[in-house]
Amino acid sequence: MAFPTEVLAGLGLNRNAPALMHVDLNACFASVEQQANPLLRGRPVAVAAYASPGGCIVSPSVEAKRFGVKVGMTVREGRLLCPGLVVLPPDPPKYRAAHLSLRRIFRDYSPDVEPKSIDEAVIDFAGTPALKRGLVEVAREIKGRVKEDVGCWMRCSVGIGTNRFLAKLAAGLQKPNGLVTLDHANLEAAYAKLSLTDLPGINVRFEARLNAAGIHTPPEFLAASPATLRQRVFRSIAGQQWSLRLRGWEADAVVFARRTYGQNYSIGGGCGDPHELSALLMKMAEKAGRRMRRDGWACRGVHVACVFADGTHWHVGRVRDEPLYATQDVHRRAMLLFNRRPGKRVAKLSVTCYELVKTHREQLALFETRADTMARLADAADAVNDRYGEFLLTPALMLGLEEKVIDRVSFGGVRELEDACGGEPEPPDPRRDY
Amino acid sequence: MRETVREKVSVVLVYDRAKGRAAPARLRWNGREYTVDEVGFHHAVREGRALHHVYSVTANGTFFKLDLDTETLHWTLREVSDGLPD
Repeated sequence: MAFPTEVLAGLGLNRNAPALMHVDLNACFASVEQQANPLLRGRPVAVAAYASPGGCIVSPSVEAKRFGVKVGMTVREGRLLCPGLVVLPPDPPKYRAAHLSLRRIFRDYSPDVEPKSIDEAVIDFAGTPALKRGLVEVAREIKGRVKEDVGCWMRCSVGIGTNRFLAKLAAGLQKPNGLVTLDHANLEAAYAKLSLTDLPGINVRFEARLNAAGIHTPPEFLAASPATLRQRVFRSIAGQQWSLRLRGWEADAVVFARRTYGQNYSIGGGCGDPHELSALLMKMAEKAGRRMRRDGWACRGVHVACVFADGTHWHVGRVRDEPLYATQDVHRRAMLLFNRRPGKRVAKLSVTCYELVKTHREQLALFETRADTMARLADAADAVNDRYGEFLLTPALMLGLEEKVIDRVSFGGVRELEDACGGEPEPPDPRRDY
Repeated sequence: MRETVREKVSVVLVYDRAKGRAAPARLRWNGREYTVDEVGFHHAVREGRALHHVYSVTANGTFFKLDLDTETLHWTLREVSDGLPD
């Protein structure tokens, strides 16, 4: 979206009535665990990738945060700050169920619900009857329904704004359980209390760029001309988008199509054994490949990346003409790339399938190639796993990897949620009387 | 203290027509009967074609995670906890 700079320069604050709501479930994973286990309510709880001392905390509860426990700390650090910390491993199916319950609630108010991650969503009320009632009243009702339908311990922060940026910013201003509206009337006052890195999307690197242009606070950022932001700070269209965003005009209503299927895995302590690394790559290729096939894609590109135990990293990707469909073919291509790595212990590994091409499996070939045979074998193995459960039928190389590359919920996206649903309709709500 | 288990257990499930909900009311484990005080969370998960209903409940001061396999109608106890740190 590009506007002539002179149009943007004369653009004031958006004075329309806010129609967007950002809902953020507070301390999502930890709250769901406290909801599931009432004995944990009121106690400091942390969900960690692994419960071992080196495991990374992914969600501290509100009580744990009061002790200073933060996302990204190790379990050891969390326990030093809070000796009574209850550490739990992630239980993704529970979090997905909570997310789907939230979606059901939101869709009762608007058909335009955009999940931003497992614990947050944007609801656009434009043209809906809910808008007439007033979004503050609707937000209070949604908070009540979250407690009723998801669980009495669940709290969410709600932000209301004229664009996605302001709605998200407002949702973050009061935590937990906040309800804030940002519009033309209070926007400048709100900016005056914030630092640049409090704004969603502004990290320390962007802050440094803004500082270099003489912009040190959000009000200065708001006052900066679109030309300055475009030419001196961001040196791209992003400068114009920030001019719109800060004034409450929409610049983020973009839905990106899926372009990759990937999988990554952290190896505690690192690994230098080529056989174990090959087996891990096979499991990652199987998980990514299975999701890719379920959505009807093959890939022409495979990318492999690793972080070594010494902190250095390496990556390589290649695109070929022949599309890859079966797990074994993705694995073979990944191994060819992976074998070029420096001979160091690997601490983190990732495989990504990209350059996706739609498969037309219904079309029968006159002369069947090896790739066709492998594709039919992959479809048959997928059908067995669909029927009897994940990893019942696997490549032999994956034997013994049951506890590795396990189910996870990623941050910043809900694609794997759609994958988990397998494109099927959402499961029925067992609480409703059909 | 949290413990992962995988044991078949006896469960009494009660369906409340008025609320439209079905939930475990009692369970027997290790020779002792527990009366469910609260169902904290209920979710469904697919393992292959089989749909499992997972109930997180507390009974007599203990947390239980119960799994009903709707293919076999077997109940499995998945997890027990007293809510205290390990």
